Amino acid sequence: MAETKESAEPPTILVDPIDMSKLDQSFCNEIKSMPYGEELVACFACTTCTAACPIANQWDYKPHQLIRMIILGMREEVLSSKEIWECLTCFQCQERCPQKVRVTDIFFDCKNLAAEEGKVPNSIVALGKLLLETGQLYEVTEDWQREDLDLEPEVPGLATEPLKEILKTTRTGRLVGSDE
Amino acid sequence: MPIYNLYMGCSVPANYPNYEAAMFKVAETFDMTLEYMEDVGCCGSPNLRAIDFFGWLLVNARTLAIAEKNGHDIVTPCNGCFGSLKDVLHHLQHDEEDLKRVNAELKKSGLSLKCTIKVRHFVEALYTDIGIEQIMSRITRPLDGVGIAIHYGCHVLRPADVTEFKPEILDELVRATGATVIDYPLWKQCCGATVLPVNEALAIRLARDKLKSMKEHGAEFVTVVCPACGNQLDLQQLGLKDSFGEEYNLPVLLYPQILALALGMDESEVGLELNRVPADPILDHLSG
Amino acid sequence: MVEVNDTLSGPVLIIGAGVAGMTAAIELADSDIKTILVEKKQTIGGNALELYKAFPTDDCFYCFEGSRFRPGIRKCFYRSAMLDNPNIDLRTNTRVDEITGNPGNFKVKLTTGPMYVDPKRCIMCGLCLKRSGAFSLISPQCQPQAVFYDPSLAEESVKEIEKECPTKAINLNAQSTEEQVEVSDIILATGYTEMRPVNMDEYGYGKYPNVITQLELARMLDPNGESAGALIRPSDGAPVKRVMMVQCVGSRDENYNLYCSKICCVFALKHANIIVNERNGIKTTVVYMDIRTYDRHERYYREARESGVRFVRGRVHLVRPNPDGSLDIIVYDSLLDRYLSYNIDLFVLSTALEPSEEDETLQRTLGLNTSSGFVAPLDLANDSVVAGDHVYVCGAAMGPAEVPESVTQARAVVSKILQGRQ
Repeated sequence: MAETKESAEPPTILVDPIDMSKLDQSFCNEIKSMPYGEELVACFACTTCTAACPIANQWDYKPHQLIRMIILGMREEVLSSKEIWECLTCFQCQERCPQKVRVTDIFFDCKNLAAEEGKVPNSIVALGKLLLETGQLYEVTEDWQREDLDLEPEVPGLATEPLKEILKTTRTGRLVGSDE
Repeated sequence: MPIYNLYMGCSVPANYPNYEAAMFKVAETFDMTLEYMEDVGCCGSPNLRAIDFFGWLLVNARTLAIAEKNGHDIVTPCNGCFGSLKDVLHHLQHDEEDLKRVNAELKKSGLSLKCTIKVRHFVEALYTDIGIEQIMSRITRPLDGVGIAIHYGCHVLRPADVTEFKPEILDELVRATGATVIDYPLWKQCCGATVLPVNEALAIRLARDKLKSMKEHGAEFVTVVCPACGNQLDLQQLGLKDSFGEEYNLPVLLYPQILALALGMDESEVGLELNRVPADPILDHLSG
Repeated sequence: MVEVNDTLSGPVLIIGAGVAGMTAAIELADSDIKTILVEKKQTIGGNALELYKAFPTDDCFYCFEGSRFRPGIRKCFYRSAMLDNPNIDLRTNTRVDEITGNPGNFKVKLTTGPMYVDPKRCIMCGLCLKRSGAFSLISPQCQPQAVFYDPSLAEESVKEIEKECPTKAINLNAQSTEEQVEVSDIILATGYTEMRPVNMDEYGYGKYPNVITQLELARMLDPNGESAGALIRPSDGAPVKRVMMVQCVGSRDENYNLYCSKICCVFALKHANIIVNERNGIKTTVVYMDIRTYDRHERYYREARESGVRFVRGRVHLVRPNPDGSLDIIVYDSLLDRYLSYNIDLFVLSTALEPSEEDETLQRTLGLNTSSGFVAPLDLANDSVVAGDHVYVCGAAMGPAEVPESVTQARAVVSKILQGRQ
């Protein structure tokens, strides 16, 4: 987490603090102003979110640590973390939070900020591309299966153009475009 | 005879036509009229929400606005679609500024959103509008107390203030078929489907934990109400067999499939052969 | 009109006969003021009846301090003070139905449930207890000392038992009675109710029998209780070897109660100390997010650490039942940033202390200020016990309180009433 120096100085053996003046003091307010971010600072560090998370044991930054990092202003570390993308969005942390911090929703906010900076895992960019190009995540390929079950081979009412048109004008368009 | 705006999303029609067919069979039995929504498509899923919050709002607001034109409640068989639509509706009901921005965009295609529409999961509509009593009165081949583990799926249960869905709904629906609901410690846990694109190994471990917990507590079958959860729990069993030699043999059925069988329908009518883990042992449990 | 006289000399109605209500009653009685002491349960004592040791002195609770006329009166305090005092009109099994009239001259309708067992006649011989489950003993320390009858459990045999009661104390045809009383002042001493966290799936309360609350643990630790003080698993009666407690269940939690219930940390530590010091070899672990041993109670925390109680800073990840009745509990240790797995026999939840259920109606009838469901005093800055005109409040009706606090507040109420009558 701490800044490491590139020079050939001997390694620091004493306390190696995070230089608070180097952190982004506006990050906390930035998240607070995003959807469902208002309750961020209500966190009283009980770590219930981490206890509730089914996969936090896999993570270097636990959910409560990510919240802590946001409050302190560790913007770079949070937005570059793999954890926000591995979040299952199962909402268990948020559901059990005794202070009603919308933890999962806040991680969605973080992902949007990361996306704005182009920091999105390739597999997710690929999904964005799929949406932009085909208008859906899954296409009917085996329409005989549908017919066997007395269903119309093509899904009635399905329109893929509107989604493509919308996403061209929003961040997905920019994100996928810049990737090419 | 209630009429609904049926929102299919993209996953059910493409991957689970058996879910779609069984849902229609059940709806027919109880005089629920499901009308496919016109001119709509994919909800974008949580992945779209993650990278493009406003695009995700717009896509789903558009669907909501189209439904508002005829006013019938939206029903969907997919937890992902349900979560997206519910979440967007909830957000726009509480964020006037975003609603204004969204409506400015919708206006270009002659739509507007007042946020008066109701979004419902198909099973909740079945539970509330038809009712357990009515359902039970039509059961002709009860399920003989077979132990079924319910996987509700995250996005139908949580966040509870947004989804407004009570787990008892599915418990009671399963019991109505004559089956027994298996209590297992990991009932709330995620199936892992959402993490599949970024960390497959983790997704497999989640499915494994879940299946293990179900099996250990006596489940013979699993029921789900979401194509993504269904896919994850069903398909990963084949993978777990291949890579770890672990066999769970837990058939994963979409709830309407189970109900349709108990209502006396034939296994081919509900597309049982499309379920990956062979589901035919369930037929042994049908009495009458 | 004789209102002025009534205001000065009318009896005082005390609602709730727990620590606060009893203290107020006895102190007013000592000053020759008549009181009507109303209790909804069949026995006086309130929640404290369940505690066999109370902080801060760890005295047996039944032995709290007497009044100036009976210094040091101990065990017999309840009987001598509450039942035989001519200035106290005790009504158990009684509810306040309606309050009308004006401050200084309230008219109060009281409904007393059927008195199936006459406490004046019952000698607790135990004959009926042996023959039917419909008769039970709420607590060996119950006052009035009488057997309790639950008609919903009645069997054929109860009629015979009624006939055979040696003192003819049983009347199965008893009916409830109503009475209107006139009082000049009302003291609310309705106490607290311990939350039953049946909706908190993560702890399994109500689902797994070996998950209990602190008050349920207190009953088990009581040497006069069913298990004679032995710690046993509710599921199978097997002796408990490992206990885990978890703090802040439903307190400091905006989904349930947003306040800190204040006394549960000390409550839990007291129990943990009793277990490790007096029940040989039982291991006890307390899972907490903050230990709040306010004021002088810090010593409980220190003693607990010295006695070998283990503390884990973190929250519960998962509770998993085993076929042998024990529970596997996985705790996230936030200091270590690791998960700890425990196998335990008894899981004790330190649940929130909530207002009593009928408080809301009473508060509305009397037009009182409230805060998180508890009664708030009229003027928070200047007076902590006056809730309205001729209406006073003391004890946990104002929010979770320990015994000495409840006693102090009750005495403050009494002094207010005495001042008004000088």
